[in-house]
Amino acid sequence: MLGIRIRSAWLIGAIGLCVARVAPAVAQAPADTMSFYRALDLEASGKYKDAVPLFREALHTSAAVNALLGLERVYAELGWSDSLVAPVEALIAANPREETYRTVQLRTLEALGRDADVRHAVDVWVHDIPGSVSPYREYARILLQKNRATAADSVLAKAKEVLGTTKDLQLEVAQARAAQGDWVESAKAWRQALLTADYLEQAAAYALAPTPSSSRAQVREVFLALPVEVPSRRALADLEATWGSSADGWNALKDLPPDSASAEAWSEFAQRAEAEDRWTIAREALESALRYKHTSDIAIRAGTAAMNGGDPAAALRLAPLSDAHGDSALIAKSYLPLHARALAALGRPSEAERLVAAYDRFLTPAAHNNLTRTIAWGWVRTGDMTRARAALSATGAEGDSSDAAGWLALYEGNLKSARGLLRGGTESSPELALALALVARIKADSAPEIGKAFLALAKGDSVGAASQFVGAAAKQPTARSLLLSTAAQIDASGGRDVEAVVLWQRILAGEKDSPEAPQAELEWARLLRRKKDLAGASSHLEHMILTYPQSALVPQARRELELVKSSIPPVL
Amino acid sequence: MMLSRVFSNARRGAFVALAATILLSAVAGAQRLLVPMDDAQQNHLKAYGLTYNAIKAGASAEWLLNYRGGSFLLADTPELRRQAGLAGITIEPMDNGKVSQLRAEIAGANMEAVPLEKAPKIAVYTPPDALPWDDAVTIALKYAGIDYTPIYDEEVEKGDLSKYDWLHLHHEDFTGQLNKFYLSYRDAPWFIDLLQKNTALAKKLGFANMPGLKKDVAEKIREFVERGGFLFAMCGATETLELAIAGHNVDIAQSFIDGTPMDPDADRKMDWKRTFAFQDVHLEQSPFVNSMSDIDGHQVNVAGRRQPLGTFTLFNFSAKFDPVPSMLVQDHRGVINDFFGVTTSFNKSVLKPGVTVLANEEGAPWVKYIHGDYGKGTWTYYGGHDPEDPQHAIGNPPTDLSLFKNSPGYRLILNNVLFPAAKKKPLKT
Repeated sequence: MLGIRIRSAWLIGAIGLCVARVAPAVAQAPADTMSFYRALDLEASGKYKDAVPLFREALHTSAAVNALLGLERVYAELGWSDSLVAPVEALIAANPREETYRTVQLRTLEALGRDADVRHAVDVWVHDIPGSVSPYREYARILLQKNRATAADSVLAKAKEVLGTTKDLQLEVAQARAAQGDWVESAKAWRQALLTADYLEQAAAYALAPTPSSSRAQVREVFLALPVEVPSRRALADLEATWGSSADGWNALKDLPPDSASAEAWSEFAQRAEAEDRWTIAREALESALRYKHTSDIAIRAGTAAMNGGDPAAALRLAPLSDAHGDSALIAKSYLPLHARALAALGRPSEAERLVAAYDRFLTPAAHNNLTRTIAWGWVRTGDMTRARAALSATGAEGDSSDAAGWLALYEGNLKSARGLLRGGTESSPELALALALVARIKADSAPEIGKAFLALAKGDSVGAASQFVGAAAKQPTARSLLLSTAAQIDASGGRDVEAVVLWQRILAGEKDSPEAPQAELEWARLLRRKKDLAGASSHLEHMILTYPQSALVPQARRELELVKSSIPPVL
Repeated sequence: MMLSRVFSNARRGAFVALAATILLSAVAGAQRLLVPMDDAQQNHLKAYGLTYNAIKAGASAEWLLNYRGGSFLLADTPELRRQAGLAGITIEPMDNGKVSQLRAEIAGANMEAVPLEKAPKIAVYTPPDALPWDDAVTIALKYAGIDYTPIYDEEVEKGDLSKYDWLHLHHEDFTGQLNKFYLSYRDAPWFIDLLQKNTALAKKLGFANMPGLKKDVAEKIREFVERGGFLFAMCGATETLELAIAGHNVDIAQSFIDGTPMDPDADRKMDWKRTFAFQDVHLEQSPFVNSMSDIDGHQVNVAGRRQPLGTFTLFNFSAKFDPVPSMLVQDHRGVINDFFGVTTSFNKSVLKPGVTVLANEEGAPWVKYIHGDYGKGTWTYYGGHDPEDPQHAIGNPPTDLSLFKNSPGYRLILNNVLFPAAKKKPLKT
């Protein structure tokens, strides 16, 4: 199967080569090459046997090289590759410097499994054209294709001995070293190869992807060593992404010299980071690109990355309206959504309102409504629910049924409306999941204390939110455990471990039959494991597994227990 | 004997309490716990740990050969129920009536109930700084919760093997050539470190070089089995242990490791009368070919000889007349995906007469899993490196058995850990 794949690969390569060589010749189409073109037509229509005599005839014309490649293809299709040996030998005898003949000869002999003849052909080639790197290259490639890395290594060593250098064989050296697991030497060779063939970046990353974690630091060193070269840094960035570390990928690129090639590398890297929601890295890459090449597109992308990374002030700074040079349509389409979001997040909704009003005539109704909802969200952030409600009402019926309307209802403690609006919404987030879980558990239609807790959370006041949820727990017995668990989660994620533990204890003592009890115990155990209290973690995990055997969290708890007991390899 | 050792150990006070609890409960309740080992079992691998630790604590246990995948019947105690609950092991409480029915079924079929009495003391031959994650047996023991003691050359040379009942070897090269990795990894830091440490250890223990030390260790392992020890080896250790034993008076190491070339007449000089499993083996003479001999059928590290992986099939034995091989092949699958190792399989052409083949690949000239008696002891060889990492390469991430808790390939390893616990060594047919 592998052999078939390799053969297909080189056949495709050979066809590509043939077309490339034929293209300039087509315009002239001298008479003596007519047999060659007829052969090509027959080959294209699958009449391989009929194509054979015509390709053979064309071997004696100016299209001999292409004819030989054609003959190689059709013989391969027919399973007659052994018939190619004699003609190719004759061609070599007539024109010993033509490398394509030699290469076809090696491929043919290799395909026929005549290893000794391959070696002999290489020796003859070396003898006939002393000083040529080609025989070593072609032979090494054949051996590498057959997974004979050690043998390929010997060929490359011989080339170095004879030619005094392997500088034109770096690609083969790199592949041989990688196949032998000599990752650092492979990286060095790839770096050399990339100097003259930067299109091999992805090939380098692919070949080095299996580097074991113990050797990765040394491979990095090779690519990061001075002088800084864009192709090798791009290859390393690709490699880091393959290894699952975009942050390290950015390290490979961040100190490139500011020029057009680097700006392109930064922008491309940012594209991948954007797709992976790695906004901090995307922003850094785009800011670097901006410094060399300031365009609206890159500025907006950088601002959006900053905004999504939680820095609305930077979003305004990176994509100022002045970049649009007064192009109102561009501002309305590209800048306004970002600026309105940033201003709303910064608690400056009135500025956002003024901005939207200034460019209103360039906005479609849908865009206008989107911006109005963003502004309403800004009012929520400031705690001004009246103005938030007013802003939302201005968008009409659509605004009243939006996600934002659902959240407003929740913040106002109107659970009845919130229940319907949030369930029918389009948004998807952990906060929404929590809100839906709560409104489903609480039977009352109104719960202002819950609204206040969510509002505090929306304003980024996690301490206040946790406190509000605890307060709400006293008034909502049906959701008490969920409210306490939510408060504990907020405390734990904010590093307030003592407060979180107090709440988990409360759940386990007073709400031990609730669905939140196993969750509380699992979270408590996880906290203890993070703090290296393995005995404590183990005790809670065992208690949780045995007390709540039907809980959906038991598999997670068992895995935690395995990690605590070192029964399975640690998670790296 | 086993219990008296346990009771005499003051450090295991808690353990004694557990044992007492189990015994008392077992008597009082007269109930049993069936640990099914067919597809009903949620965690086959942990079930072995539960059984091993029950025996270790002095509880009664039986291995029900060929009954529902080789199930276990244990005393019904709160502690065992607790352990099963924690690990997610499926158990089925049985009253006396059901146990009687079960025994009747076993009596009338190719099944047998083998009492398990003595939890073997386990040693794993592994370098002192090795993590447990590059050896399928230590991975399995860790996961199942079975204690073991790592030992290496110093302990073997000191005579510590006599302290253990069961010894495991994995990818150690007992020819002292570090699996010929010199060819490909001579400049790799990990290889340089390994070479330096092993050479220093050989000198420290009074040997001229690594092959000298490893041959002596191999000889002590041979003596361990001869005296009644249980040996279980996997991967390259199977092949190289045999070569080291047979080559005790022959230079079978290449010059890159001991400075002198291999004896060109080594094949003729090898002493196969002393080995466990193989005879008339041809050694690989070339230092540039990453293979030791023609024992391995797959030759994974030699590109031109490498054979593809298939599946291997476990043999059926008579549970009543051949309980030992029966124990070794208990599994919920009869056909298992093969997996590579430095030594993956064993060519039939070099097997000694009398070797029991436990698993083979249909139609292939090699077998996968073999067993035999030697002196007062037994040996078992299982080719390959890691049943759940079939293409294992150096540097691959370790196998996390919580993702393979029903692995049929790993079960074979754990069968080997438990079978020395059988009450008496039954006679072969």
